[in-house]
Amino acid sequence: MPNRLELTGITKQFPGVLANDHVSFAVKPGEIHALLGENGAGKSTLVKMIYGIMQPDAGEIRWNDEPVMVANPKAARKLGIGMVFQHFSLFEALTVLENIALGMDAKIPSRELESRIRGVMETYGLALDPHRTVATLSVGERQRIEIVRALLLNPQLLIMDEPTSVLTPQEVDQLFTVLRKLAAEGCSILYISHKLHEIKALCDTATILRAGKLVDTCDPRQETSRSMAEKMIGTGLKDIVKAAGRTFGPPKLVVNRLSTGKTGHFDVPVDNVSFTVRAGEILGIAGVAGNGQNALLDALSGELIGDDSEAITIDGLGIGLLNTTERRRQGLCAVPEERNGHAAVGDFTLSDNSVLTARDRLGMVMMGLINSGAAKTYTGRVIADFAVKALGPASTAGSLSGGNLQKYIMGRETLQKPSVLVVSQPTWGVDAGAAAAIHQALVDLSMAGSAIVVISQDLDELRALCDTLAVINMGRLSEARPVKEFNVEEIGLLMGGVHGATEGTDAIPA
Amino acid sequence: MQFRLEKRREPSRLMSYATPFAAVLLTMVLGAVVFSLIGYNGIGAVREIFLTPLTNPYKWQDLGIKAAPLIIIGTGLSIAYRANVWNIGAEGQYVMGGLAGTGIALLTYGMTGWWVLPLMVLAGILGGMAYAAIPAFLRTKLNVNEILTSLMLTYASVQLIYYLIRAPWKDPMGMGFPQTRLFSEAARLPTIIPGTIVHLGVPIAIIVGLIAWFIMTRSVFGYRMRVVGAAPHAARYGGFSENKTIWLAMLVSGGLAGLAGVLEVAGPFQRMVPGFPTNYGFTAIIVAFLGRLNPLGVILAGIVLAITFVGGEVAQTTIGLPNAATGIFQAMMLFFLLAGDILIKYRLRRVSPQPSVGAA
Repeated sequence: MPNRLELTGITKQFPGVLANDHVSFAVKPGEIHALLGENGAGKSTLVKMIYGIMQPDAGEIRWNDEPVMVANPKAARKLGIGMVFQHFSLFEALTVLENIALGMDAKIPSRELESRIRGVMETYGLALDPHRTVATLSVGERQRIEIVRALLLNPQLLIMDEPTSVLTPQEVDQLFTVLRKLAAEGCSILYISHKLHEIKALCDTATILRAGKLVDTCDPRQETSRSMAEKMIGTGLKDIVKAAGRTFGPPKLVVNRLSTGKTGHFDVPVDNVSFTVRAGEILGIAGVAGNGQNALLDALSGELIGDDSEAITIDGLGIGLLNTTERRRQGLCAVPEERNGHAAVGDFTLSDNSVLTARDRLGMVMMGLINSGAAKTYTGRVIADFAVKALGPASTAGSLSGGNLQKYIMGRETLQKPSVLVVSQPTWGVDAGAAAAIHQALVDLSMAGSAIVVISQDLDELRALCDTLAVINMGRLSEARPVKEFNVEEIGLLMGGVHGATEGTDAIPA
Repeated sequence: MQFRLEKRREPSRLMSYATPFAAVLLTMVLGAVVFSLIGYNGIGAVREIFLTPLTNPYKWQDLGIKAAPLIIIGTGLSIAYRANVWNIGAEGQYVMGGLAGTGIALLTYGMTGWWVLPLMVLAGILGGMAYAAIPAFLRTKLNVNEILTSLMLTYASVQLIYYLIRAPWKDPMGMGFPQTRLFSEAARLPTIIPGTIVHLGVPIAIIVGLIAWFIMTRSVFGYRMRVVGAAPHAARYGGFSENKTIWLAMLVSGGLAGLAGVLEVAGPFQRMVPGFPTNYGFTAIIVAFLGRLNPLGVILAGIVLAITFVGGEVAQTTIGLPNAATGIFQAMMLFFLLAGDILIKYRLRRVSPQPSVGAA
């Protein structure tokens, strides 16, 4: 049988960087093929060329043994290539059906489209009501819309870009069932992910890229997660070094019945959340995206200020009414999930970005004037200590890759030695090498006596990193327990909103 | 041959400096073409508008006194626009500054003393601030768009001039003309070069620009304005409240417009007249953008726009160009500038034509 897709010598040059350097591999019909690599290894560029968003500078793409030139995504869809992006393009105020109709190349009468959608859903077990408004759907359900949209075109190749980063373990299992069924019918799948155990569970072949070059094409079932990660980063992988039998100090960050008002139309507020983090402890907060994590981070960092001073205390001092600047002075630093535009300003230099959060703690301001020399020195230290790939403190934040920007931001906050650090998605979209460095920095900070809260959707990360774990669902937090007492099944159920009898957040109505 | 826009990895500094110059040049070229096509001496018009004010030393003093209010207002606007606070009503704040200064001048009529002029200047700044406070209040309390309110308040301020100079402030010796009496000596801005009309406002404008440049690049205030404009969400995270920033931006831009107003009424006019609103407040919007929202750039841009004003008057008398021609040249400049800005973030690349899709 001819290969479904065959790439030969694909090369793509961007100003200053060779994104793909003579990459060649083939995908067979019905094969689930993983595309692995660090951030900036060239996976996205490669996929964009297959889907026609950009054109290769050199090399050949063969589709079912015919050389093709994919001019644009519409041409790709015409060939039978479908793609589900990491970030969905859905209108929240419209229904599932309307969203799908808007994305179709051909105009199909709504009734016919609906019956075809129902057909696809039935075939693949994708439960979804076409008349629900997208705003009311979970992230997993939203992803199903994108999958249905792609499947309506009867693709012969489906490209999935980091599809599981926002799903609960149960939703991941459902997704894998769908993908396996598709593959059994002969549809090839090109699967991009960082999660190596998923690739081991799902994929037949894995192609590993590093710095734009193809490193290896292997059978993931013959490899360990570690061996694949090492191929991705090119060196040995470091484990998190955590002193055994650590003891925790007195309670440092105490959150007592914290609630937030509803801020945006589709935001989930925090509802009566209480927890305690001791000195030296790392508390993990698991949960599916969109369950109040953003509101919780904003409420802790001071971007949202409540009306109860005692709702948040550090070392017994109520900080619930303080703003972000005052909370930083009290030793609380925070890293929000969104890097560009929230944790950092893309158009500013790294040096100026250091002024954003470190100006008061590190004495960068004298009589209203900014000491740019101090900012530059500090930024240089962050770049060196966290191995940030940047030209220097004068590079703009926007010119860094996502992973490097995250390393810079994590470095900027941890090197301030906060006594309480709250981070959301510390390694989201960050490669294995950088993730290990960030994890180690968090552990080191906790061993120095800081209390740390890690909000993440990555269960592997939380289980490896944290001492205690709680689960957030619809703005409410489950009781925090030592992480060893949880099994994945139980966390998954809590994430889906099934609370146990021991639930600690049920409040007496005030 | 085909061209394509390609995103740059870093915004081009070269282009951000080059596009204002390119905009001025393109304006001269296209202006010459347009005015030739409609039957004027196009090249002559461009020469009179852009070159005569520079080559004729008699025009330099005009340039100075026209550039001064443009620079002062443009500086304030450049600060507010950095923070994405769109104060379009500088003309109104300029008028209110002028009226507040006039009020003091009339109250102290006949008095002497060094304190009269500083008091007028202070009143002018406060007048502009107070008028800018209205859109700031509406924006922060009721989320009313400041573009609309500040613009509409401009027209209200002009009506206020007409009312005041027709009734309560009317010159008793003015033979019925709608204007105030001529200010006393103590309330007039001194000239700094004897024998010319160059008044104290000209050096003040340069100093305002320089101080603003220092504050915007070195201080936390400047940082606040830049970060709120570049990434409001990050600004909140960094501890800069949006409402406080809106207030600061409106008060600073309003106060500077008021300063320009009082300097103008105490300098060239020396009394309040119906012709006091001369659109400096609107032209300063072009000045702020042509100056790249950078106070040093604003000083240069203020001079460029002053050239078009002075040159426009020259061209009216020498080649009979209509008064509106000045406005056309100024507008072209803004359009070319805004269009050229795309080259800061994107580069133009020549691409070889590609064969069309070979759908197998």
